[in-house]
Amino acid sequence: MVVTDMFAKFARRMSSTQGFPYVIIAQTPNPIRQLEPEALRLRAEAMLQTVIDGLTLPGSELQARMKDVLKDIQPQGVARSAVPV
Amino acid sequence: MAESQVELTGDSVAKLMLASYEHAYEQGWTDGLPIIPATPEAVEEFVAVSGRPADEVVAILPPRKGQATVRVIAINAIMAGCRPEYMPVLLAAIEGVTDPSYPLEFMQVTTNPMTPFLLVNGPVRQKLDINYGTGCLGPGWRANATIGRALRLVLINAGGAWPGVYSKTSFGSPLRYSYMCGENEEENPWTPFHVDRGFKREDSTVTAFKASNFCNISGGEGVGPEEILRQIATNMPPMYGGGDGVLLLLGVNHARSLHEAGLTKHDVQQRLWELARVPASHFAKAFADTERGAGRGDGDTVWRAATPDEIYIAVAGGPGPQNVYIGAGMPQTRLIR
Repeated sequence: MVVTDMFAKFARRMSSTQGFPYVIIAQTPNPIRQLEPEALRLRAEAMLQTVIDGLTLPGSELQARMKDVLKDIQPQGVARSAVPV
Repeated sequence: MAESQVELTGDSVAKLMLASYEHAYEQGWTDGLPIIPATPEAVEEFVAVSGRPADEVVAILPPRKGQATVRVIAINAIMAGCRPEYMPVLLAAIEGVTDPSYPLEFMQVTTNPMTPFLLVNGPVRQKLDINYGTGCLGPGWRANATIGRALRLVLINAGGAWPGVYSKTSFGSPLRYSYMCGENEEENPWTPFHVDRGFKREDSTVTAFKASNFCNISGGEGVGPEEILRQIATNMPPMYGGGDGVLLLLGVNHARSLHEAGLTKHDVQQRLWELARVPASHFAKAFADTERGAGRGDGDTVWRAATPDEIYIAVAGGPGPQNVYIGAGMPQTRLIR
């Protein structure tokens, strides 16, 4: 999944509702709407390694890297937050 | 939305009410304002008035795919301060915002504070005392304040649009507390909005727009139809997140003046569409490109709407040279049963 950082945890929450909590997420800083094509290309290139890792590394390695992500899915005791969580 | 029953005690009604509010706030069930506790007896009454089974799933709400059953909706309506007889309006509104063509999931999670705007038509306005005249978008009317609020609570509690957690809206908006009014059909010299949408005049309907702002447009009375429309058109800036169109709540004075000048509603739409154009050089290039790509511009100008039909017109409010421009579109109209 390719997202801006603002939506990375949200993306994992949504993917977990579909049964994929360990989905590979490549992220780039939000916003991107105003970027010219060349700047956008640089952002895309910076995310490429994450995409390649997701497609080529063994599952055990990916799972080890993401051992802490479950706490992102439902932060304990948080009903609202002035800082995106 | 998980349902749970909690017993709270207090040695006075005031303390019990405060305890209910504190508990609901801690759970994240409120919009920040005090709530009315949803007792089992009240829930039963609200469900009964709806005329529908308590467990009927009215909608699956994004982003959490929460089941908005009649019971869940009733609980939120009670918390919002609704009367039981408001339930049919709320149910119809929820059906509208969950139409597959209405971008509710996007609205629930985006950084833009867009929100549903509800326009109510038909006899239900008098029956429920839904304000459509003086002060119709402001404080003072229970139905206007609580039906819109109940919709927001359903979107938070069943949909999971908790600020900062699922909802990423950077600023939020005061319009997200409640955004609703009736149409002033009695002083509308043309056909009411719901009749334009194919319903009968005696039908009661609620229309949910995707809306992003509130802008009061002042002035222009007594100067002729062209100047009235120019004043309105030049105060309707294009914007991101406006649902691609315009909802113009035309004030009763201007509606009468335009009608007396011989203009039809379509004439008003057409002329506003022609006048609401700004040189593309006034905008950031990326924005102008986006608008052009969406059919709202050419090489020289950015237009407020792609077609005259995307300038939706209703008449509302009380006397005075005022109109309200709402960046809005994608209307979903539902019959209130």
